[in-house]
Amino acid sequence: MTTQAAGALAPAPTQGKRPIGLLLVAVPVLLVLWLIIWPIIAAMIQTIWLPTPDGGRALSLSSYQFFASDPYSRSNLAVTLWTTGVCAALLLVVCLPIALYLRFSDSRIAAYVQGLAIFPMFVPSIILSFAFIRVLGPNGTVDLVLNSVGLPKIKSPYLTPWGPVIGLVWDNIPLTVLILLSGLGNVSNQAIEAARDVGAGRFALLWHIILPRISNSILVAISFAVLGIFSAFTLPYVLGPAAPEMMGPFMQRTFRDLFDPTNALTQAVITFGFCILFGLFYVRSVAKNRTP
Amino acid sequence: MSATVKIAKPIDWTGIVFAVVLTVVIVVPLLVVGTWAFTNVWRFPSVIPQEFGLKFWYQTLARADVWSSITMSLTLATTVTLLSAIICLPAAYAFARLDFPGRDILFFSFLAGHAFPKFGLLVAIAGIFLQLNLIGTFWGVVLIQLVGTLLFMIWIPVAAFQAVDRRMEEAARDVGASPFRVFWSITLPQAGPTIAAALLLSFVGTFYETEGAWLIGAPQVRTLPVLMISFINNQPVIQYGAVLSVLLWVPSFIALLFARRVVNSGSFAKGFGA
Repeated sequence: MTTQAAGALAPAPTQGKRPIGLLLVAVPVLLVLWLIIWPIIAAMIQTIWLPTPDGGRALSLSSYQFFASDPYSRSNLAVTLWTTGVCAALLLVVCLPIALYLRFSDSRIAAYVQGLAIFPMFVPSIILSFAFIRVLGPNGTVDLVLNSVGLPKIKSPYLTPWGPVIGLVWDNIPLTVLILLSGLGNVSNQAIEAARDVGAGRFALLWHIILPRISNSILVAISFAVLGIFSAFTLPYVLGPAAPEMMGPFMQRTFRDLFDPTNALTQAVITFGFCILFGLFYVRSVAKNRTP
Repeated sequence: MSATVKIAKPIDWTGIVFAVVLTVVIVVPLLVVGTWAFTNVWRFPSVIPQEFGLKFWYQTLARADVWSSITMSLTLATTVTLLSAIICLPAAYAFARLDFPGRDILFFSFLAGHAFPKFGLLVAIAGIFLQLNLIGTFWGVVLIQLVGTLLFMIWIPVAAFQAVDRRMEEAARDVGASPFRVFWSITLPQAGPTIAAALLLSFVGTFYETEGAWLIGAPQVRTLPVLMISFINNQPVIQYGAVLSVLLWVPSFIALLFARRVVNSGSFAKGFGA
């Protein structure tokens, strides 16, 4: 889950600095240091400070060189980049129209549409995976319906790269819609009416008035989606092909099945590298919304 | 939706199209799972099941692995939620009410985990746990899930404490109430519903949590979602997975509906992203 929204850490009302506050926040802050900051630093150190044959340790980039030269690792990275790109594009294509509709309509149907668009937030991805297989898998509901009207079965996306794409898009619809919708809240009705008065068509309105005003929200939505999708585990693990696999299942298998923590950590650091810009941008926007 | 621009239209066709498409894409798959859970026989190519019934509920609930993972999930979620409340609520109170060196930077430090792709971060944590022999242990899973609750268990209650009417607290102090009495009788009742919702979210989030439990805990620590993965991968009887999905999802869904009603949209959104 995430935090993207408005609010402010208002100035504390008590006068003067009181170190007792530090004591109260110490445990969670130490947990963040121990289980978030330190693992990231340790992963970087561990992957470049490798054991040598004579028992010592030395600076070496060999695990990164292995990743870069190993065709299987490279194809896993490629399929991850492809999945992330396709999902981000599909999410925008699907969610922008929904958000626009919700912003400019107040009918009862709009309330129903909004409820549905947010609903996947309350469905754990493991149940989504199961539902996906029952509906789009071999002899699933889609096949049943097609068969009953005399049409051929579909070529099932289950266990193909499209499986994770469909699942991840489904899973990410709610937050993308919510982020875009909160961005659209900043587009004033006056601006739109003024543009209408001078004869702007729907497309011109979208292109010249709305999109420039929500470009930041679009970037936030994309950053959030990229962070979630790039290292997604459950959906690609259950719905995706065995090979090539996305970085999430690849890291898990390297770590748990191949007992190769060094290479698993190398893969993790590489995913950090690919996502760092999106991550920093996302966190900066969240923090900005929360500061006075 | 607050502000609107009126578009004169007799029938909201756009809305109807969205409503129909979203219903098919979002509601139907879940209905299919629900139907499978109450199906005794459903063979291809029949569009509706040949025989409805509760046969597989009895069979699923008779399995030892199902019960042990239900117990495991409940124990884990309770432990994590309690620990999280014990360490996060005093911290939230401090962030909301006290001034201390580094207050802002520490407050935002809880965002650190969100700057990185989650599963990569879990693997990095697993690297640390490997040296501490926490892989495959109950407390390893507790720790990894605890870290996942920190952000909203601090940010949501901070908003709740800040929303408390301070004039009432001051009035109580003026008539001689002790600080503890003020906290217990004024602050807590006002902040309570939001904090309860944060606790509920933490419980449900931990109950659903799959990736940390799978990476750190499996196969020794088997939660319901972890069992669900192995059902999907290895279990030919479809209904087991369907019954487990309903078991896993419906109680949590009711809890979440309750949470949404309790929390006013403002502070709920602060922790969640709208």
